[in-house]
Amino acid sequence: MAEVRIAAEPRTEFGKGAARRVRRANKVPAVLYGHGAEVRHISLPGHELMLALKVQNALLTIELDGNSELALPKAVQRDPIKGFLEHVDLVVVRRGEKVTVEVSVHVVGESAPDTLVTLDQPMLSVEAEATHIPTGIEVSVAGLTAGSQIHASDVALPEGATLVTDPGALVVNITAAQTAEQLEAELAEAEAEVGIVHEPTDEEQAAAAEAAPAEEGGFEEPAAEGEQDGS
Amino acid sequence: MLIPRRVKHRKQHHPDRTGAAKGGTAIAFGDYGIQALTPAYVTNRQIESARIAMTRHIKRGGKVWINIYPDRPLTKKPAETRMGSGKGSPEWWVANVKPGRIMFELAGVPEPIAREAMRRAMHKLPMKCKFVRREGGV
Repeated sequence: MAEVRIAAEPRTEFGKGAARRVRRANKVPAVLYGHGAEVRHISLPGHELMLALKVQNALLTIELDGNSELALPKAVQRDPIKGFLEHVDLVVVRRGEKVTVEVSVHVVGESAPDTLVTLDQPMLSVEAEATHIPTGIEVSVAGLTAGSQIHASDVALPEGATLVTDPGALVVNITAAQTAEQLEAELAEAEAEVGIVHEPTDEEQAAAAEAAPAEEGGFEEPAAEGEQDGS
Repeated sequence: MLIPRRVKHRKQHHPDRTGAAKGGTAIAFGDYGIQALTPAYVTNRQIESARIAMTRHIKRGGKVWINIYPDRPLTKKPAETRMGSGKGSPEWWVANVKPGRIMFELAGVPEPIAREAMRRAMHKLPMKCKFVRREGGV
């Protein structure tokens, strides 16, 4: 995984007022800790950090006071609606050091027809070298039938990574999809309970209009009101 | 429809509508979600209508999760009634949804289908919403 180099500035004032001033200057307040070193409060450039954190478990090289240190994001606080970064916790790592990180699982392949693939464990905890963290774990469901299950122990991990998650944890579950009749019956019942009435579509209306004259033996146009009044 | 089986108090005060969601702001189960952008009371009928709209579009392909529950009763006095004489009778069951909350999640379908299914569901909901997808980062 590529390292991202980011220049940091030390923070000297704390509290929400100071943090808001930092954010107004398009920076993100952050904290750097780990390996028994003293905790350092820093601010990082907002846009660069946002781009770097788009990648899962991004390895950052923090340049601070003429020194550079490798760090991994430990916790990222975002605004729940706008999504901008509010605060980042960075943990110091060293080259060759093993770290435990959460890596996302990607399902690949097509399972057997009429099955539903559910990803029960979207992230797996793995131990890997800080400089060689896998970007994702692929799980193939090609040709699997209903009732098949893939557990954490069955997942092929990338080279250099070892599993930390419970090996018995269910990762992917393949179940039989509802039949069209079951789905229609379930939805019809739910719609009846809520009181949803479907308006006939144009095609249905046209079909009904075609069927009506055939049954009644003709279609008479009602006389216009104006003609009846004689006006 | 979703209704609590048993409640401690049949008639409650109106739920607080200020502030943003404290939790449930990230996708937990599926791949896509509907996020509330404004506060609102969502009734059990609206939740069910949204679910039906979504399920009708995705057909048999995917799975839907509902992350909100209508556990708060709202009361209403009968029409043409003078004020007083106690609180009205329970009329609706609502979920008190605050901005940021992921209300529905969906998995097992391609993104264009999920977007359209969720767009249809959003029309059944009483607040501004947006479509969100699972993020890869920390």
